[in-house]
Amino acid sequence: MKRYLMLVIVCLAAVSALSATGTTEAPSTSAPAKVELNFWTWRPEDVAFYNKQIGLFEAANPDIHVVQTALKNTEYNTILAAALAGGSGPDVFQGRAYGGLATFADSHYLEPLEQWLPELKNYSAAALLGATSPTDGKIYGSPAVSQTVFMFYNKAIYKKLGLSIPKSWNEMLANFEATKKAGYIPLANGAMEGWTLETMLGGMGPAFYGANTFYNAVVKGEKTFQDPAFIKAIEKMQSLGVYMPDMYMGVSYEDMRAYFFNEVAAHMIGGSYEAAYFKAQNPSLDFDVFAIPGEDPTKPAYVSVYADMNFAMNAATKNKDASVKFLRFLSSKEFGNAMISELKMISSVPGVNASSDPFIARVLELQKNSTPFIFLVGFRYQQPTGSSLWQAAAQGVMAGKLTPAEAAKQVQDGIASYYKPFQK
Amino acid sequence: MNVKRLRKASWIIFFVTPGLLIVGIFILLPLFMSLYNSLFSWNQLIPVQFIGLENFKRLFTGYPYNIRFFNALRNNLIWFLTTMVVQNSLGLLFGYLLSRNIPGYQAFKRIFFIPVLFSIIAVGFLWGLYLKPTGLVNNFLAVIGLDSWRHAWLGEERFATLSIILVNIWRWVGFPSLVFLAAIDNVPRECIEAAHLDGVGEWRMFWRIIFPLIIPSITIIVVLTVIGSLNVFEQIYTMTGLDGGPNYSTDTIGTLFYRTAFGSVDAGSPEIGIGSAIGVVIYLLTFLISLISILSGREKEVQL
Amino acid sequence: MITDLRFRGASVPKRLFILLMIVVMCVYVLLILYPLFNMVISSFKSNREILTHPFALPDTVDFTNYRVVWVDKGFNIYFLNSLLVTAVSMGLVLLFGSMGAYGVSRYQYRASTIVYMLFLSGIMLPLKAAIIPLFLIIKRLGLIDSRLSVIFIFIAMGLPSTVFILSGFMKGIPMEIEYAARIDGCNDLVIFRRIMMPMTAPAIALVTIYNAVPIWNDFFFPLVFLQTNTRKTLPVGLSTFFGQHATNWSLLFTSLSIAILPMLLLYLFMSRYFIKGMTAGAVK
Repeated sequence: MKRYLMLVIVCLAAVSALSATGTTEAPSTSAPAKVELNFWTWRPEDVAFYNKQIGLFEAANPDIHVVQTALKNTEYNTILAAALAGGSGPDVFQGRAYGGLATFADSHYLEPLEQWLPELKNYSAAALLGATSPTDGKIYGSPAVSQTVFMFYNKAIYKKLGLSIPKSWNEMLANFEATKKAGYIPLANGAMEGWTLETMLGGMGPAFYGANTFYNAVVKGEKTFQDPAFIKAIEKMQSLGVYMPDMYMGVSYEDMRAYFFNEVAAHMIGGSYEAAYFKAQNPSLDFDVFAIPGEDPTKPAYVSVYADMNFAMNAATKNKDASVKFLRFLSSKEFGNAMISELKMISSVPGVNASSDPFIARVLELQKNSTPFIFLVGFRYQQPTGSSLWQAAAQGVMAGKLTPAEAAKQVQDGIASYYKPFQK
Repeated sequence: MNVKRLRKASWIIFFVTPGLLIVGIFILLPLFMSLYNSLFSWNQLIPVQFIGLENFKRLFTGYPYNIRFFNALRNNLIWFLTTMVVQNSLGLLFGYLLSRNIPGYQAFKRIFFIPVLFSIIAVGFLWGLYLKPTGLVNNFLAVIGLDSWRHAWLGEERFATLSIILVNIWRWVGFPSLVFLAAIDNVPRECIEAAHLDGVGEWRMFWRIIFPLIIPSITIIVVLTVIGSLNVFEQIYTMTGLDGGPNYSTDTIGTLFYRTAFGSVDAGSPEIGIGSAIGVVIYLLTFLISLISILSGREKEVQL
Repeated sequence: MITDLRFRGASVPKRLFILLMIVVMCVYVLLILYPLFNMVISSFKSNREILTHPFALPDTVDFTNYRVVWVDKGFNIYFLNSLLVTAVSMGLVLLFGSMGAYGVSRYQYRASTIVYMLFLSGIMLPLKAAIIPLFLIIKRLGLIDSRLSVIFIFIAMGLPSTVFILSGFMKGIPMEIEYAARIDGCNDLVIFRRIMMPMTAPAIALVTIYNAVPIWNDFFFPLVFLQTNTRKTLPVGLSTFFGQHATNWSLLFTSLSIAILPMLLLYLFMSRYFIKGMTAGAVK
């Protein structure tokens, strides 16, 4: 009897102690009430950077206190959706681009930003595309970062083997052969994670499917993904399999990066976000990037580009003015420069000083011949997204289970099930 | 007579209410709210209008959902059959051996349950490491001379699901082992000793005497396996991702449901209507099959 | 014991059988201990070491990772929160679960199957998928950012399987015991506490571990509902090591190694309840 009573009492005590918590906040120390802004990101690895920047912002705006919460990237969308639907969302937060933005914008959770930040009109069209809702054409995010997809290569290995940046596809294959003979894995890419195959297409696809001409045509429905040029791109991707690691179907994203920064592999098709990671893991790694050329050396080599992240504002926030101030800070040239120099990311803010970092400068140089990252930019607005269809089909092709033609059909049929221009 | 029934009823209510209340508010209510979503059409995260069973029609007949759904269901069936045959048989075997005090049983009993204590993130990462092309499993196969058996276990369509199932069995076989151990221990010693003295052999002892008396625990394990196989989600999420790669070969209705309802970070955007429809199907399937298992188990029970 | 499996006095085929079974079980033990070992030694390695030499022994055994995780990253607070949340949730799961199991298994009434299936419904769909309505409910109850929110959710998650398993075990207890107690004048509550509960001790131990582990390791619900840093639990802290493009493996393994300790202790404590023959003498 006594023991049971004790258990019940302990539980009740614990429950009452816990119910004392709730939404009470610690009282602020300054006399006028501080406005508290909640700022959410999906980059736990950048927490220190944002804290520093927040420090700078708070010094200039002593009446505003910003609380950063970094959520695990894979759960970010779900938790944000739940919080916004429940009316408890953050005030300012990192927003996804393109389809990811449309999800929240069309649900009326995001505040249209043009009225608050008229300077947004000066951003490049490509950057704004990622932050605009296709339904009403309004801008819902302040574009922050763009990413580029190209070929990373190990400069030290190139120097050792006397290789130079290839000007044609065949030259690139010759480089692969040379590195293979020297005992390296020519191409680090693996196929276990579907999205890495989307990146691969972004790197080598434009050279074969026709870059911008194809993109513009396919978005309008004038061409389909069963176009021979696109199928050829798939065939060429499949042909790279002999240069990829042994049993590449089981090589994950972490593995392929490890191959590259441990200098076991000489090349890797990846996005610009890899640079910071490679530098952190192996500071002595001497690497650079090139755009993957097509078969014709006289035509320019393209890189795929996409807007990656923007800063958005909660339409239901109670602190509109403070949020706008913080957003303006995040859209400033100073902040953009900090992103470049400290995070090695390509800021979308117009007029930033990109030459401060040689890698970023090189990326911008390559971006002169850029094409949208086809599925992410054009076809991620509805389920089944072009991305998910491509990732699965590409895995089938790399495993030898699907022919390139079948893969193209799988992608085309999936998109055609909802994409009006394909349904004529 | 009435007072007795009233008293009995009050006791029942007393015992059952607290638990039922909490489950009702925090699970059943949100559950039915989200299942209700399946009757509407959606614009991103906002409901638009009531469309009855349209979402279900699209799920079962529209491209690509019908293909994905039946592919996923097939994988769930593989999960169920493999788990029943391998995990639960092993569990029964281990439970029986442990109850018979096989040499070393004290240590085995304590160690078998340890995999359950790992967090799923740890299990997913560690076994992902071992199943890599350059991982321990392949190295081991090479060492014992079975070089040709080396594969990309999680990367090849024909092996991926089975690999994940085997990892899951590794993790859980301790559970049926201990459940059966406890159940077999509860069989009154006099029964076993009497049978032993009567000269009953091992095999008959097990199937004629022990097995019928542990039917309740078998029902428990079967129902939990059914529910587990239809709901399996975390294991796949950590090992091959939300999209059920490669090329949907590890996809189950659990992952299909979650990714349709919430979108996946690198590939999709949410489709709440159809996602909720999938949820309804999962729930109904699980409910029906569990009910059937429980009722048929009840018929076979032997009360002492 | 007369029915033990022993080498001595057994026939040759039987001896082979016993030996084979022991080998099989030992293989499984190896498969269990190695990953545990692997996880712990990885906590002493740097990130790059883990990615390049995942199976080798660490270069140095220094505990800086542990200090970083425990102090710098604030895991000492997270650990206490996890302890509090798990203990309270488990205590109430056991209390309400055993009560519910008793109410469903020891009384015959028409609605018993319905009540039983209602409880069981709780595990028929991953609750994670109903997060949006759940969020609305928690908000309506005013529990956002309170540890009570996750406690209630965890209790709700643990009750179905607890009721299910315990009622199965309670059914196996002969009715004579209950009749004898009633004749002695015990009322239902006394029967529940003094007789049912001790006899289902092995099942209770099982159910405790079965539920405590997912509650202890769950990161999703605390991540959604606990916003103030001083209220967060250990798995939430763990999730911050997963960057979008860069995972901090060494700190992750360190925190996983810390996280598994309480579960190991709980398990070793519970395992002594797997005592044989609880019902054997009771009828007499």
